[in-house]
Amino acid sequence: MIGLIVTLILFPLVGWSIGRRSLGEAFLFGAGLTGTLLFLAGLIHVPLAAALAVIVVLAIIRIATTPRASDTRHPTPGTRLATAMMCLPLIALIFITAITPLSDFDGRAFWVLKAKGIAHERAIDGPFFHGATLDPRNRYPILIPLDGAAIFGIAHDLDDRQIRWFYLALLIALALMVRERICRLVTPAAGAWCAAILVWLPQFAVEIEGGALSGYSDIAIAAFAAGAFFELVDGVSQSRGLAVSQDFDASHPRDRATARPRDLQFAVWLVFLVLTKSEGLPFALVFLIIGAFVFRKRIAIPAIATTIAAIALFVWRARIPAGDEEDILRMLPTVFGKLHHLADALAAFPRHMLLLQRWGIFWIAVVIAAVLTLRVDKRIATIAISVIAAMLTVYASVYVATDWVVSDLIAVTADRLLMHVVAPALTLIALAGYRTKSM
Amino acid sequence: MNGRSLIPRVAGALLFLSLAATTLPRLVALVNNARILLPLRYDARREKQMGPWYASVQALRRALPANEPVALVTTPRDVDAAVFANYYLYPIRSRLFRGRNDYRNSANDPALPKTIVAVSADRVARTTYDDLRDRDLRAGHRVVTTPQLSEPSMSFILPIAASLDGPAPETFVIEATIVNPNPAAAEVRATFWPKGLVKTVTIAPGATAVYYDFVHQLFEVTDRGWMRIESSQPLRAAFYFANRGHGDATLLPKVTGAATDIAAAPVYRDTKLFVLNPNDTLVTAMVSGNPVPLAPHAFVSWPVTNVPTVSGNVYAYVATRQLNGRTDFLWPR
Repeated sequence: MIGLIVTLILFPLVGWSIGRRSLGEAFLFGAGLTGTLLFLAGLIHVPLAAALAVIVVLAIIRIATTPRASDTRHPTPGTRLATAMMCLPLIALIFITAITPLSDFDGRAFWVLKAKGIAHERAIDGPFFHGATLDPRNRYPILIPLDGAAIFGIAHDLDDRQIRWFYLALLIALALMVRERICRLVTPAAGAWCAAILVWLPQFAVEIEGGALSGYSDIAIAAFAAGAFFELVDGVSQSRGLAVSQDFDASHPRDRATARPRDLQFAVWLVFLVLTKSEGLPFALVFLIIGAFVFRKRIAIPAIATTIAAIALFVWRARIPAGDEEDILRMLPTVFGKLHHLADALAAFPRHMLLLQRWGIFWIAVVIAAVLTLRVDKRIATIAISVIAAMLTVYASVYVATDWVVSDLIAVTADRLLMHVVAPALTLIALAGYRTKSM
Repeated sequence: MNGRSLIPRVAGALLFLSLAATTLPRLVALVNNARILLPLRYDARREKQMGPWYASVQALRRALPANEPVALVTTPRDVDAAVFANYYLYPIRSRLFRGRNDYRNSANDPALPKTIVAVSADRVARTTYDDLRDRDLRAGHRVVTTPQLSEPSMSFILPIAASLDGPAPETFVIEATIVNPNPAAAEVRATFWPKGLVKTVTIAPGATAVYYDFVHQLFEVTDRGWMRIESSQPLRAAFYFANRGHGDATLLPKVTGAATDIAAAPVYRDTKLFVLNPNDTLVTAMVSGNPVPLAPHAFVSWPVTNVPTVSGNVYAYVATRQLNGRTDFLWPR
């Protein structure tokens, strides 16, 4: 119960302390910011408990001293069915989370174990990370384990029941952010239905390995990637009138009140990506390249922030011994000797996109939507398609270069990697729906 | 509602149906599972999910000291179980060893955990190195499948009796086959010297007793020495000094008295002279002209570079290792 309370209060509190934002976005922003600040504090050996206390106190002061903008938006009756559809699986997942113990592989083998280690030692480079105990993926980034450690620490309990809620909350927060951002971008109904689709996706909702009931970090990275993606899209809509949202009140007082420098927000999401999973760094680089076309010179801030986060990550990694994780950077030059993996790598994502038990016809819909969306808003469609295509290309390259048995690696990772690009995919579906309606 | 506005609705409904068709049954199954678990305590829910394996982890966690690291020794097939044991045992620190050889190869590591936990997919249990070794040996195959049985005898000495490990994979054992061809049961008394450990076993009429690790199975020790065998009935038997790691074995002679005349022969590496005193009294042996006093039932060895001359009321022999790792014995005439 303490874990639930901490999850519900700590992360939105931290998220709201850096500007007003929706609940979902505040949660994700808070989770990312808490993990990042604790990581940086740990890197310079500031006691994590003290750092967490400072973060919480500053967040409270900041919220207490910031004038509240009143929310004058009216409820949108047209979204009631979609909202109900979104709530249905979430209620079931809340019930399951409250009762069922953690049972996935990576959560117990790597991620939650790290959270326990950090919470127990109150350090990110203590004996746990120096071989005192078994930590098979010692150098995996630890933003999410740091959030977990914060919950464990406040609860004074290393039992994983304390952080079960956090992983479900990540999915709920992602759904709420998708709902709100697509609502602003396209229509409220599109936002509501996209959020509903998200929480009904089997890979997110019920898949034991990687879904909301697991302790993986893939929903977190999907959420941070969604944050970065929507900042890019907002960057486009700020630079010119957005084609699709002309009939939606984008100049609403609350939206004006929450207007924030997009490049800075974008930078923060990229930092979260880098510190969450190994895939986060190439993901951030892809976003930087695409972002350069949107933010132009203002891409410097995200680039600098990403560089700092990457350096911090490498400094931390240099201080601790490697586990049995693959060193992607060292592997990449060997890619030309492993071109026999190419066919498997190229077929990996199309094959998994068609796995109905994991995705239904979601990816078929996304492909059709991508074609249709290019006619509605070419720029946003291009961004979304570029993000999806670039990331899947990066992941396919890793499949080619891997030293693991490539078919085994694809079997256990491809669906989780597809999760990472769910926000651009949902945006394409939303835009395509708008296009079809407005023809 | 015109036809065009219907298209996204139908497409959306189809998409939703495809998702619900997969998610809903699994969601219902998960909810039903949660309802079953609901009345149970949280640990009992885990036990329900993971079976007796989790109960064994919990029991072990209560029994282990919190600040003492443990060695999780498992088979390559059960590494996942060890990874999860590590998770549930934390903050008890643990190190993973893929097999007993992995553990014994770390013998010189000062941080090697002394507490050993055997992990399988079925259970997790505190154990000792000797137990792990015995389990491995029991599960494996004896080196000698068709032993050469001796003529019947009632009393004899085995000049070497050992249950020891060298560097992995070398594992030295005595493989024994004892046949009682008599119409009466045989009481067999084995005395392991120089420790003086005694064990008596009964072999039924016409029965055959087979041992894969005679010393450890009888005395539950890993050690080396010599052994006196005395039986109430004449027995046919074969005792082999076997190296399970290399798959080689040497038939041991059944010694009945002192002997020291070892024929000259080439020696290789790790060559040692072994001398045992089968008497109940102190004796003095002469080794290369030097007097060596030997306590009653003593068993001593020295490294040598060639076959030395030995005399006295003792039994002496030389053991040498060939380059392929096989142990050769040079027995006295």
